[in-house]
Formats: sequence, C-alpha cells, structure tokens
Amino acid sequence: MAAAQVSVSNLHLVINNKSILTDMSFSIEQGQFLGLIGPNGAGKSSLLRCLYRFQDQTSGTITIDGKNIAEFNRQDYARKVAAVLQEIPSQFNLGVFDVVAMGLTPHKSLFASVSLRDKQAIQEALLKVGLTHKQKQPYESLSGGEKQRVMIARAIVQSPSLLLMDEPTSHLDVKYQIEIMALAKSLGITVVASFHDLNLAAALCDSILVINNGKLVAHGSPQSVVSSSMLAQVFGVNADVTLQQCAEREHAIPHIRYQYQSLQSAINSGTSRSQR
Amino acid sequence: MRFAASNVLLLVCLFSFVCSLSIGAVQVDFYDVWLALWSYDNTQLAQKIVIELRLPRAVLAFLAGAGLATAGLILQTVTRNPLADPYLFGISSGASFGVVLLLTLFGVQSGLAMSGAALLGSICAMSLLLLIAYHKGTAQIENMLLAGVALSFLFNAFTSLLLYWSDPQAVSAIIFWSLGSFSRADWAWMWLPSVVVISGLVIVICFRRHLNALLLGDESAVTLGVNVHRLRLGMLLVSSLLTAVLVAACGGVGFVGLMIPHIVRFFISQARVLGMVVTALSGGLLMLWVDVIARIIIENQELPIGVITAAIGSVFFLSLLMFRKRTASI
Repeated sequence: MAAAQVSVSNLHLVINNKSILTDMSFSIEQGQFLGLIGPNGAGKSSLLRCLYRFQDQTSGTITIDGKNIAEFNRQDYARKVAAVLQEIPSQFNLGVFDVVAMGLTPHKSLFASVSLRDKQAIQEALLKVGLTHKQKQPYESLSGGEKQRVMIARAIVQSPSLLLMDEPTSHLDVKYQIEIMALAKSLGITVVASFHDLNLAAALCDSILVINNGKLVAHGSPQSVVSSSMLAQVFGVNADVTLQQCAEREHAIPHIRYQYQSLQSAINSGTSRSQR
Repeated sequence: MRFAASNVLLLVCLFSFVCSLSIGAVQVDFYDVWLALWSYDNTQLAQKIVIELRLPRAVLAFLAGAGLATAGLILQTVTRNPLADPYLFGISSGASFGVVLLLTLFGVQSGLAMSGAALLGSICAMSLLLLIAYHKGTAQIENMLLAGVALSFLFNAFTSLLLYWSDPQAVSAIIFWSLGSFSRADWAWMWLPSVVVISGLVIVICFRRHLNALLLGDESAVTLGVNVHRLRLGMLLVSSLLTAVLVAACGGVGFVGLMIPHIVRFFISQARVLGMVVTALSGGLLMLWVDVIARIIIENQELPIGVITAAIGSVFFLSLLMFRKRTASI
C-alpha cells in the first residue's frame, strides 16, 4: 500500500446546465491527509464523486501517480482508490465479516474463492478497527461508529493507495469522530475526507481545501486557511480563531469558537426587520 | 456446522424427491421407485407411473422452485428492496396476457402452444420494462419498480378486457393456467427450464461479489470496481428469463420468489455462496412438497399450485415475523 500522489487540474463539472464545480486545480502530496470543508451544497461530495469516478467530469483532468484516472479500468482503479461513503446497507442481514470481505471484490476473478491469505487480511483489518469480537454479528446490529469502522476495514482489505471519505463522521459521537479520523490517518496512505466539523478538520488534517459555490477558495495548512475572515466569508458565521500549541504536533492547531451572541442578534435583527 | 446443515438439506432434498415419486393417487413403494430409477422396466405399471408421470413433474417442480427463488434473490439484491419479487415486474402479467390472447384469438388450448404464448408474452413485458427503465441510459431503482408495477397493471387491464369478451370455457382454462400446475411437465421440453435454471444459478454464484457489492449502494459498488448499470441490466435479464421460462412451463406460481430468499436470509448472511445455494435448494424443496400436496389433498382432483404456495407462504411468513427473535445471524 504505497501512498498515492494526486493532482487535479482545471476540473469543471456541469450537470443539467448547472455548474457544480468550476475550474478546480490542486494537488495532494503522497501520504497527506487532506480535509474538504465548505457549506452544504458547496461541491464537496461532487468533487469526491469525480475522484472515485462515479461522476465523469465535464472537462479537466485528474491524475493519480501521474496517470490520468480515465485510463484505468474499473478493477485496477478500485485496487488503487477506496471510498468510505455515507451509504449504509440494511435489511439484508449481512454479517460483519462478509461486509469486510467485500473489499476483496476488485482483487478476485469470477470463480475465485476466499483464500487463507484473504482471510488473514480480513482478520488483520478487523483487528485494526478493533472489531474482531464482533465479526460474526449482523452488520445492522452495530452502532453507528462501529458501522463506519467496518466500512473502513472493508477499505483496508481493498488495500488502496488513496482513501476517499465523504463525511464519514456525521451523526457520530465526538469520541467516534476522533477515533475514525485517527484510524484513517494511521493507515499511512493518502486520504481525502470531507468534514462537517471544522474544529476536527483543523485538528487532524495536514492541509485543508475550502470550497464554496463549486469554487476553490483556499488551500493550505490549517493554520493558514482557518481564520475568522474565511469563516465569515464562506460559512457566514462570526467566530474567533485561536492557535493552540499541541505537545505532539510541530504546528499549532487552530481552534474555532463561534460567537453565539452575534448570531442571536442577527436573528433578532432579521425578525425585527420583517416585523417592520 | 454450517456445512453439516447444508449437507442435511441436500439429503432432505434427495429424500423428498423419492417421496414425491412414491406418494400419489397410486401409492408406489420405495422399492419400485428405486427399480424404476435404476433398472426401468416399462411393462410394469408402477414403474411407468414413476418415470413417465411423476419424475417429470418432480423435476419441473424442483426447477421451478429453485429458479423462482433465485430470480427473487437477484431482484431483491439489484433493487435493494427485500420485498421485490419476480411477479412485481409485470413478467407474469405479460405471460397471462400472451395466453389469453392465444385462447381468445385462435381458440388453441394445447399445453405447448400456451407455454409458447406465455413465453412470448413475458419476453414482451420484460423488453418493455428494460426499454422504459433504461431509456435515458440510467436506470434508477425507483423508476424500474414503478415501471414494473405500471406494466403489470397495463397487462392485467388488457387480460381482463379479453376475458370479459371470451366464452366461459376459455375463462376457466385461463384461470386454471394462471394458478399454476406442473401437470404439463413433459420430457420433450424439460431441457429448456433445466438449462435456464442451472445457468442462472451458475451466473449468480459467479457474480456474487458484484451482486453483494450492490447491497452497499450504487456509489460504493462503483468504488469496488463494479459496472453497476451493466450488472443490473444483465441480472435483470437473467431473472426475467428465469421467470419467463418458468411461468411459461407451469403458470403463475407466486410467493416462492419473495418468500424463500427472505426466509433463508433470516438464518444465513446473504453475502455467502452457501446462502445462495441454500436459497435455490429450499425453493426446490418447497415446490416438491407443494406438488405432492396438490396431488393428494383432494382425491381424484388436483389443486392449483398457486393457491397452496400463497396459503403456505403467507402463514409461514406471518408466523416467522411474529416469533422471530433477533439473534446473531450466520
């Protein structure tokens, strides 16, 4: 599992005459953890869809390790790029082990069965996400955090060099949010993840990409990107950003404190205006 | 332990097969069944009954059960809807329409012609469904289900209209046909359902990983290297062909395709080959016994298969839902 180097240049995506992504260019270094942030509907998921080839871009190129992603065949691409999405299977009584084993799909021919080595790989992945003891349970009986960990184990079995995650931690408890992102980070491969929680993104990512209205607004380290002016401009909130020194990290981590008073006054002024 | 269970199932299937050959209006003992199977003597009446009347019925019943259960499994997987069923997509309505058209327009009542008409009708319904669902190049599951339901109503409307104009004799023939029966089983055309059911099962087992990946969702399946549109189209074709051929061979046998995969799923994770094999075997097993019941429950008369499957199926299903415990699977 070598880490991949990704570069995106002049990416445009137009769906039904509506421009979803406009002229995006950026690159991700090997082994980096890139966070995507932006308001709802900004184009985070669309960008990820282009990266995992669910959506073909209108123009522009995406290359992985110097090769255009359009040139990969489906199976080869799935061996290189895995994705953890928000889709959750239900009602089909899948066992946890079987869901993790689905990561083998791009590595297997039609007639091949699960070999001893594959079983070992599945066990190792389960161990990594700490769910060895639950492998025989039905997937549906797990908690939200465990379900996402199973999906990550599936991605580990897929042994990709690039992992894409579409808001893998929304609806989860804080503990699991941190756990899952730390788990993804520990894999040592290139990761691109979209975030809902800006503080989490600022704390965990090597670099952050800010998207607004389908355009790339900022790209850089958390310290340089996360600022109160950016938050006001892109997210429309008033917030203070302080830098926190962290013992294990060489850089300070930006910490966001939202100003709820000003929000309240904004609402009040809005209602008073409408009353007038 | 699981393999032991599947071996037991296999043994039960073999035993049931022999039972279904021995039980009937004329009781044939196991020894005669054994003789008929291994050293057939066509001067013996008992052996003649076994080979020429009961064996083709039993084989057709088993194939129908296994095939419909597999078709149901495929449809439930590709639509990610545990309530999908081969009859939901208008395939059997198309078949009924074909038969009614044949009876009212040409007055033909031979079994082979009816089967041919049913096959044509269901293939027609299936092509319409695929055309509608794929006409923009993307098949949304919801569109497909809606198109199937709409088509089935459309064909039913035509069928009712034709029935309204036809004579009572034709009406009763059609009703008997649409309730399903294995009495038309004949060695002459048994190769067709055999080939279709066996190859259907082999295809499903080969593509099991891709099918299971679909259960995660379309986008996740794409990231696992699955060509979702092509797989879904291919699998729809396989299940439609299975349904079309079986409906043509034995009329409307409902509930098996919906019920068997559902029941098996209670016990075995669907993502395993074992689950798929057990689904097919259980479907065949159920149909074998349904056929036996249909033949013996009323003396000198045969009950329609569809009535029994629906009755057993709904009762079994309801009790399973009521008494089911949420325990660990596999």
